[in-house]
Amino acid sequence: MTPHRPKGQIAVAAGTLVLGVLILLGSVDLPAGGGYAQVGPGVVPRVVGGTIVLLGALLMREALTGGFRGVDEEAEIHLPMNWGAFAWITAGIIVYGLLVERAGFLLASTLLFVTVARGFASRRWFLNALVGFAVSAFIFAVFNYGLGLQLPPGVLRGILP
Amino acid sequence: MEIWAHLVDGFAVALTAQNLLWALVGVTLGTAVGVLPGVGPAVTVALLLPITTKVDASGALIMFAGVYYGAMYGGSTTSILLNTPGESATIITAMEGNQMARRGRAGPALATSAIGSFVAGTLATIGLTFLSPLVVELGLKFGPPEYFALMIVAFTTVSSVLGDSTLRGMTSLFIGLAVGLVGIDNQTGQARFSYGIPQLLDGIEVVTIAVGLFAVGETIYLASKMNHIEEKLEKLTGSIWMKADDWKRSWKPWLRGTIIGFPFGTIPAGGAEIPTFLSYAIEKKLAKNPEEFGKGAIEGVAGPEAANNASSTGTMVPLLTLGLPTSATAAILLSAFQQYGLQPGPLLFEANAALVWGLIASFYVGNVMLLVLNLPLVGLWVKLLEIPKPQLYAGILVFATMGVYGMRQSPFDVFLLYAVGLVGFLMRRFGFPAAPVIVGMILGPLAEEQMRRALAISQGDPMIFVTHPISGGLLLLAAVVILAPWLWRRLGPGTKLG
Repeated sequence: MTPHRPKGQIAVAAGTLVLGVLILLGSVDLPAGGGYAQVGPGVVPRVVGGTIVLLGALLMREALTGGFRGVDEEAEIHLPMNWGAFAWITAGIIVYGLLVERAGFLLASTLLFVTVARGFASRRWFLNALVGFAVSAFIFAVFNYGLGLQLPPGVLRGILP
Repeated sequence: MEIWAHLVDGFAVALTAQNLLWALVGVTLGTAVGVLPGVGPAVTVALLLPITTKVDASGALIMFAGVYYGAMYGGSTTSILLNTPGESATIITAMEGNQMARRGRAGPALATSAIGSFVAGTLATIGLTFLSPLVVELGLKFGPPEYFALMIVAFTTVSSVLGDSTLRGMTSLFIGLAVGLVGIDNQTGQARFSYGIPQLLDGIEVVTIAVGLFAVGETIYLASKMNHIEEKLEKLTGSIWMKADDWKRSWKPWLRGTIIGFPFGTIPAGGAEIPTFLSYAIEKKLAKNPEEFGKGAIEGVAGPEAANNASSTGTMVPLLTLGLPTSATAAILLSAFQQYGLQPGPLLFEANAALVWGLIASFYVGNVMLLVLNLPLVGLWVKLLEIPKPQLYAGILVFATMGVYGMRQSPFDVFLLYAVGLVGFLMRRFGFPAAPVIVGMILGPLAEEQMRRALAISQGDPMIFVTHPISGGLLLLAAVVILAPWLWRRLGPGTKLG
């Protein structure tokens, strides 16, 4: 008797199944034979895809018969998901990806620092911006000048040495 | 003896001013990331991979290895003072060491784990020195079928021993294998799973996966599920030094822990978790006052700490001699070798003797450095634990995105990083281990190559894997590892009846 069906686990098992099917579909066009080995580039993808389908099915069986073994789903449910924090961090990384080349590494990183700190419920905007800028400047100095990684200066082009 | 000559040459490499400096940087960074929650050696080495274009192979590898075993030292500081194990191998330390700290004995707990780590690290390095040439001899006799079978054993143990469910471990492993498939097949030039996206043709970088799963996934998980949990940092009061009684109670557990930990590291049995539990159980059994265990017995810190250090050094044996990584960090170290066009294995000991032995010699040096860094200077590291969580994780993400973006200056990788981070979050939420993904994606393509080579030798006859006795035996072992828990359950009720 299960009081509720663990929806999350069912979704994870279904996702695993879908991944396996996608890999199988993607390997249809890859040649399986050829060469001395009689094993072309398509064989391992088929084995991997097929096994993931099998694993997904087994996960689904566990999810439907009392939940994943060894996972305390009850305890997880008592830790409610903080979607606000999730959104702040998501936004932080996505905006970083969009801005890093336009605004430059220093500004994008400082903004990321502030948003992630906000995701952890810190509202000291000014302090976080200051610390974030200092950390980013340190990283820029070490990796850009010291280790020769090309980090984009962005709007600060010309101002930075 | 040949070993001594090699070792002397090795020290000649490790003791150059430049390499000493790299070792120092490595162990210092390693201690720092070991102390800091939320960032571990795997992520750190992955983020440092870009330096391989600037620094020579021996310097970079000495530093990476220093990060790896340095993190083991630092991890215990966090476990003892904060009671949040940085990694599964320090769960025991978190239990027993934190109990000591609560009773005002944080100093001796830190001391016994630092000295124990030093004793175990050094003894295990001696083990590595003398065992490696023997394994190399054996490895030279191996052909493609044997290597393929060895890799299968590593796959099965990594995914079934780590974590608490073979099914979820295997799922993680196969996701890793699937990631490893993306890109151009190195034997035929056929593009696989690239969907016309040029960034995918080169394959998915291990940096993106490691940083995404461990750093981004962990950050998302902590922020959205854990942000209301308060942690209590124990104060480091009183003397850090151990009293005569502490020494008397510690030295035997150190040695026993080393003897238990080292073999577990050398066989591809997946991580330092089991030997620490074993060591704890044995110390409890042998102790004069077992009732003290669970309330801060120094033996319960000394033994497991020695065991996890010995085991992490032991991991270097299969990595260096056979090219077989058995942990996430070891897998990333393997990809560091690959950046230099080097393939760890028996041939590396012949072709690059100075590099390998220099690396081994650097372990001796690094352990001495770590003893100094972690004992008199422990107060500095405790300061790191006072960084508030919001700023700590914000800083970690700034580093993480920089490393992933900077790798090839592509915003695409940042978005991919976020996607991998989401997967990491889900894996953490639903109890899937992350390490098998890393091992799968790095070892998978190598295993495929060995399999196809073996089949080329046998002209397509798969029986080659079974008829070669060593490879047949190894595959049987892998099958046992996978099926044992299942058989155990099936046979369990039956034996009760009989």
